[in-house]
Amino acid sequence: MRIFKKGILYIFLIALVFITLLPVMYALFGSFKSNQELLVSGAKLLPESFSIDNYITAWKMADFKTYTFNSLYLTFFSVTGVVCSSAMAGYAFSRGQFPGKNIIFTLFVSTMFICLGTITLYPKLQIARLLHINKSLWGIIIMNVFSVGATNLFLVRSFVNSIPREIDEAATIDGCSFGRVFASIILPLLKPILATIAIISFKTVWNDYLLPMVFTISTPSKAPLVVGVVSLKNTGEAATSWNLMLAGTMISIIPMMVLYLCLNRYFVEGMTSGAVKG
Amino acid sequence: MNLLKNYKKGQSAWCYLLIAPMLIGFCVFTIYPICWALRYSFYEYNGIDATFIGLDNFVRLFTRDPGYWEALVNTFLLTFGKLLIELPLALLLAVLLNNSLKGNGIFRTIFFMPNIISTAIMGLIFFFIFDTANGFVNNVLLEWGIINVPINWFGEKWTAMAVIAMVSIWQGFGINMLFFLSGIQGIPKDLYECASLDGANKWQTFIHITIPMLAPVMQVVLMLAMIGTMQTTDLVLVLTNGQPAGKTEVIMTYIFKYFFNYGGGNSIPQYGYATAGSIVLAVILGIFTAIYLKITKKGTQIY
Repeated sequence: MRIFKKGILYIFLIALVFITLLPVMYALFGSFKSNQELLVSGAKLLPESFSIDNYITAWKMADFKTYTFNSLYLTFFSVTGVVCSSAMAGYAFSRGQFPGKNIIFTLFVSTMFICLGTITLYPKLQIARLLHINKSLWGIIIMNVFSVGATNLFLVRSFVNSIPREIDEAATIDGCSFGRVFASIILPLLKPILATIAIISFKTVWNDYLLPMVFTISTPSKAPLVVGVVSLKNTGEAATSWNLMLAGTMISIIPMMVLYLCLNRYFVEGMTSGAVKG
Repeated sequence: MNLLKNYKKGQSAWCYLLIAPMLIGFCVFTIYPICWALRYSFYEYNGIDATFIGLDNFVRLFTRDPGYWEALVNTFLLTFGKLLIELPLALLLAVLLNNSLKGNGIFRTIFFMPNIISTAIMGLIFFFIFDTANGFVNNVLLEWGIINVPINWFGEKWTAMAVIAMVSIWQGFGINMLFFLSGIQGIPKDLYECASLDGANKWQTFIHITIPMLAPVMQVVLMLAMIGTMQTTDLVLVLTNGQPAGKTEVIMTYIFKYFFNYGGGNSIPQYGYATAGSIVLAVILGIFTAIYLKITKKGTQIY
């Protein structure tokens, strides 16, 4: 009876695994098929032969080289900036005493619950135009870095709270200023949580669609991967470029996937602790 | 004493410096857009000329725009329909994977995997999978003889909505499973021991211990999931773009299209009207959240 029950359990779980993996597998195998084969292959998942022609075409002809470069550039600077600003703000909100601390903190946190959605996109674009950064990737980077990340703030703040105060008191007595304590004592201790934040924001920025799409509407050569791939769908020859789009999706998914398989623990930690503590 | 005072003064300055990036960002990218929206909701504004028209945008919204309300209804239907399947599934998986099962970690890793893929990219892949003529799903169903004619998934409102919900569930159940799992692991073990000493079976312990002890986690998870789903934008834009004939438009995409042209459309943007729509939406969702918190407050007081 017990074995029977276990069997059913495993069949259920494995079926679910299959459903979960199917779309990705479809895209992966599809990306090796020619367009002709994609359209007539019916219910066959596996390609007749693994040809990387699609990738070569996408890379050379369809500008995916540019898109990938844009994505890497955008993600690198955004993540670096987000990590710095969350570390700084998290420390200040944890250890610092300054007028208006509670009000500012409450305001920051409330951004999590107020649903602004698409309302801020257009004014943001206007501000970017005003600063003349709407035609470069820096517009998006600045939006990413300077926006309030309530979850990241929570993560750093509670991490700093868990560091014994004696450590920075000792440093203060030795004559370190508040900023010096941060730079030379607290920051090195923050490494694990900053790694988590880096990974989560890498995921967010790499996968983001709406903001970069709006910013690159008039300058397609600045589009990151996700925007570039999806934009193929809306062009006239969409039906003839399924293979390119599938190759494009894989180019965008694979780096993420590799990172996820290697650093799985950080992903899970960052995603769950952020929400539960928040 | 003087030294301490100096130190405190220095500290305040340091703090402001450290939070400066976020503070500036907050003022420029959150406060300013809100003020901007409040102002232009009373204007007719196409990007060049702005004319003050008083409450006309709101009047139009409440009396002459069935599309807005249909999109809002769609959003709520999508949210509840999706969560009705997603959350029980996530809870079931969390309970199952909490046991010491072989391959536990692998299952968890795989179920969470969809969450790391871009929603827009997933929308694109599912667009291929559910394509009428060449899509994988139709081909499989035809080959197995379940259907004779290919189903036009994106041609009917309800099938298209079902596909949207499916992608959304597919992407979201893993993270909710992890939330529930970490909640379950926080329940004290002795509660279960006591229950089993009293002769409670698995189902009884689940109903009388796991569920009530999970209530606080569930309150948060449910709220995050609801807010998240109501803001669905890129998935719908990429997958159906509101087709057929705007029937699968959700509220975010509906408003979005008054701000920006999407998918080859070429209409004149109506910023004033779009901001009025956003403000009404923010108020509706605010009320909704407040009611939700009030209703669920009682259920979470377990200690």
